[in-house]
Amino acid sequence: MAAMILLTGQIYLAVGALVALPFLVVGLGRIDENAQNTWVFRPMLIPGVLLIWPLVLWRWIVLETGRADEPARHRPPLTWQPRLTLTLAVLLPFLIFAALVIRQDGPFERPAVQLEDGL
Amino acid sequence: MNQSQDEPFFIGWAAPPDLLRPFLAGVALGLLLLAGVFAYLVSATQDDPGDGAFMGRAVAHGVLQTDPYPVLHVVESERYEPGTPLILSGNGKIGVRDRASKVDGQYVRAAGTKLERGDLSGLQLANGMNGLRPADGAIPQIETDDLGRWRLTGEICDGKCLIGAMRPGRGLAHKACANLCLAGDVPPVFVATDKVDGSEFFLLANADGQSLGDTMMDYTAIFIEAEGRVEKRGNLNIFFIEEDTVKVIR
Repeated sequence: MAAMILLTGQIYLAVGALVALPFLVVGLGRIDENAQNTWVFRPMLIPGVLLIWPLVLWRWIVLETGRADEPARHRPPLTWQPRLTLTLAVLLPFLIFAALVIRQDGPFERPAVQLEDGL
Repeated sequence: MNQSQDEPFFIGWAAPPDLLRPFLAGVALGLLLLAGVFAYLVSATQDDPGDGAFMGRAVAHGVLQTDPYPVLHVVESERYEPGTPLILSGNGKIGVRDRASKVDGQYVRAAGTKLERGDLSGLQLANGMNGLRPADGAIPQIETDDLGRWRLTGEICDGKCLIGAMRPGRGLAHKACANLCLAGDVPPVFVATDKVDGSEFFLLANADGQSLGDTMMDYTAIFIEAEGRVEKRGNLNIFFIEEDTVKVIR
């Protein structure tokens, strides 16, 4: 199991490296005009890209294809907040009381039973 | 509403409208009441941690037995009655098997911090020779009495926290700590729901009379039922737990 987890992590980071190379050499300058013709800082982004390469890839595609709707990025958390608050308000007390109900409570008075006499 | 550039945005702590004052006072009082009720409900559902505690420095002379776990049978002490069995532990979450095995079966002087919970006593040994060393004295015979085979219900605890090193030293909240202590070879103690030969506390051993190792860690700190032979060694009950009979009580 541990070897499986390790292998999965290695594959994930290897794919991240494959994403980081074209993104930092070509993509970054195309989606951010402030990054054009600046190179020294780009190697510093390599560890970050290795870790969050699916997000990097997704944002690269969105910005490259012109589908980016910047204000929309801030809307989803706000629209979900009331529902999330209500859900937590119901769920948390439920979890606490469920834990109190199903937790083991005794037996405190069960008698000891002698199965065989001593030698 | 337009706001001029010179007007500060921050409004400070504005006084609440008169209409809202009773409502806000009600909410504030309600929250205070709710906090009190919640605190009471949480504390009322907790088990009593008992009267176990560290009881200060202590020195005892007696006979040391290492198997299944180090126990000192007191012969002479100002802080313990003669015949009291002391569950021995080291500083932190470690046992003292290495040190004890060098003086197994001998008359020794043990010093450290006294632990006591009801009629169960222990000693957290001081470091090095100050804590445990051979002494001069006659070695009395430790009586062994086979009490038969029993089915007991209770909880596996570690024999340091239970006796007073922690409060609570038993129960689910203490499970991780108990397992760390057992992994460090602190003697495990079975606290039964009923007494056998006058005691509800049992030092644990496996069916072969050896230490448990890490075989029972899934069963610590919860109520279980188990079968095994019980032996009285000196004034200490030992439960030779048969691992294949262990059942969690639902």
